[in-house]
Amino acid sequence: MTHPQEKHFLKPGVHYLQGSQACAEGAIMAGCRVYAGYPITPASEIMEHAALRFPKVGGRFIQMEDEISSASVLLGASWAGAKAMTATSSPGFSLMQEVISFAIMTETPLVIVDVQRPGPGQGYITTSQEDVMQARWGHHGEGSIIALSPSSVQEMFEFTIEAFNLAEHWRSPVLLMAEETVAHMRERVRVPSQRQIKIINRKKPQDLGITPEQYLPYGHDTIPPMANWGEGYNVNHVSLVHYADGKITQYNPEMHFENVRRVQQKIENNISKIARLEAKFIEGCRHLVICYGSVSRTAIEAVIEAREEYGIDIGYLKLITLWPFPEEQLRKVVKKVDTIFVPEMNLGMMKHPITEALRDRCKKIIAIPSLGNLHAPEDILDSICKELK
Amino acid sequence: MLKYLKERGPSGARLPLILCPGCGAGQVLNYTLHAVDKIIHEDGIRKEDLAFISGVGCSARLTSHYLNFDSAWTLHGRALAIATGALLANPELKVIVFTGDGDVAAIGGNHFIHACRRNINVTILCVNNGLYGMTGGQVAPTTPAGIETTTTPYGNVEAEFDLCKLAQTAGATYIARWTTAHPRQTIKSITKAIRKKGAAFVEILSQCPVHNKTSPVEMLHNLKKNTVSIKKTKQSEKGKIRIGEFCDITRPEWTAKYQHIIDQYSR
Repeated sequence: MTHPQEKHFLKPGVHYLQGSQACAEGAIMAGCRVYAGYPITPASEIMEHAALRFPKVGGRFIQMEDEISSASVLLGASWAGAKAMTATSSPGFSLMQEVISFAIMTETPLVIVDVQRPGPGQGYITTSQEDVMQARWGHHGEGSIIALSPSSVQEMFEFTIEAFNLAEHWRSPVLLMAEETVAHMRERVRVPSQRQIKIINRKKPQDLGITPEQYLPYGHDTIPPMANWGEGYNVNHVSLVHYADGKITQYNPEMHFENVRRVQQKIENNISKIARLEAKFIEGCRHLVICYGSVSRTAIEAVIEAREEYGIDIGYLKLITLWPFPEEQLRKVVKKVDTIFVPEMNLGMMKHPITEALRDRCKKIIAIPSLGNLHAPEDILDSICKELK
Repeated sequence: MLKYLKERGPSGARLPLILCPGCGAGQVLNYTLHAVDKIIHEDGIRKEDLAFISGVGCSARLTSHYLNFDSAWTLHGRALAIATGALLANPELKVIVFTGDGDVAAIGGNHFIHACRRNINVTILCVNNGLYGMTGGQVAPTTPAGIETTTTPYGNVEAEFDLCKLAQTAGATYIARWTTAHPRQTIKSITKAIRKKGAAFVEILSQCPVHNKTSPVEMLHNLKKNTVSIKKTKQSEKGKIRIGEFCDITRPEWTAKYQHIIDQYSR
């Protein structure tokens, strides 16, 4: 790789940015040097900013012929040693599922941003949270995924960096499930100095004293160390069920089970290390709002007003990580409540895993749906008052 | 050649190839490794500078786990997009893609056109057996009209694709077609293709004795009989496929052009 041109990095301090710009800048800060994309509203601003910025920091940008090839580029780039990303919107995200499935099986670190727009079909070009289930279950086959939900321009910057760190650490594709709202929002962003930003790079066999002769591309550890192409490790990447050394013949069910279970469990057994949530007014609260993404911006307004104006004892929980679903963390902070409200820009998707996690800890779970439009605080407040007053 | 293959690994033996007896894909691997050996010895290219990528199908099996190189057995049709990614990350790599006619002309047709148009530095070796072998002998975009296959039981109503013409129109800078019955010519063309800085396409017409229900020897004889060198005739002889070197030109390569932008704007 060309040596990073650090003088072209975003300067520490306060900037006024669009969410899409903050995302591309976060990627650069995280060490991403390959960007491939295909235009789609409302995600195109990320690729336009990447096209402008990547060559300045020694990176490479390419506009591909479709979303399938855009995501495919990330595979080759990652194996050849680069951190790589693409951004798309919902119809393009559907096309990328093939690569997501392949990246899970080959344990390839890469980052895909989905600036969600409404569906099904062409749907519309406004905002949405309708792909949160596709993020987890859209790819064929078993395996797990990591998906983050940013709610502000600051988080577009920070979570993009976190997405790369998670991808590199867990050797996994990571999804940043943005929405049109946060991608087009303009806000202040505080950029720390480079020294204050934590960057994680993939674990390599060289660092562990593993020679090319000893190297197993899918072995050594729950998260296998990853040699880059060009380093003499003769790495073979393969998505058929395989042995630790990448051998694919002499199939047997035990090898199959061990391979796929490890790929799934390296994520699912480490949820407490991966997943995060944020809570306010939660101690002993009688009711609760659980939300994520840009909806959390209006939900917190509704919660504060419900508490202050209407005297409702209601808490606020924001999911930072959508997948793996932070069930244990939720059960740690939610002991016993009456009603849980789940405002989402879909017809009630994350309500399902929330119900699964908390059905014995509450009396009622109520969805507050919205399609193509961010809830106003009053929409959420009205639903709360209608139920509780 | 065995030093370029993984005969066995910690989990046991890998050879022989999974391919059916008499299949031409193994010959293509043999010719490719001869070309690679020549390049390693003559050009000072290190073994670790080479990477092999394939998609899905019989030809793709060549990179599944046999090669003692950096390699990947990837998604159906996407090998060229993945190769593009590897070159964006490390333009010093010599990337060789094994593909088949279904892989590169049907599901990967769009990526093929655009890899040629970009003139990205990739060697595309297409093992063309005129059908989908791995899935049971279905019709392919390269199957001649009238031929009966499992999905054209009453004969193929479609016209076949000329992949070399397609590559030339799309902008590839080295293009050749040979058959598995032309080892020396194929090795020479693959060597030139790897040395070419840009998109290089070599089509190797190959035999599938299983689905054609014909002996491998007879099929190899037919490959010689049914082809004619472009040096011998400018016009295509009726019913014969033209073989030879169709194109060898120079045009700026993608990563080289982009490097100018990096150099100019990263100062």
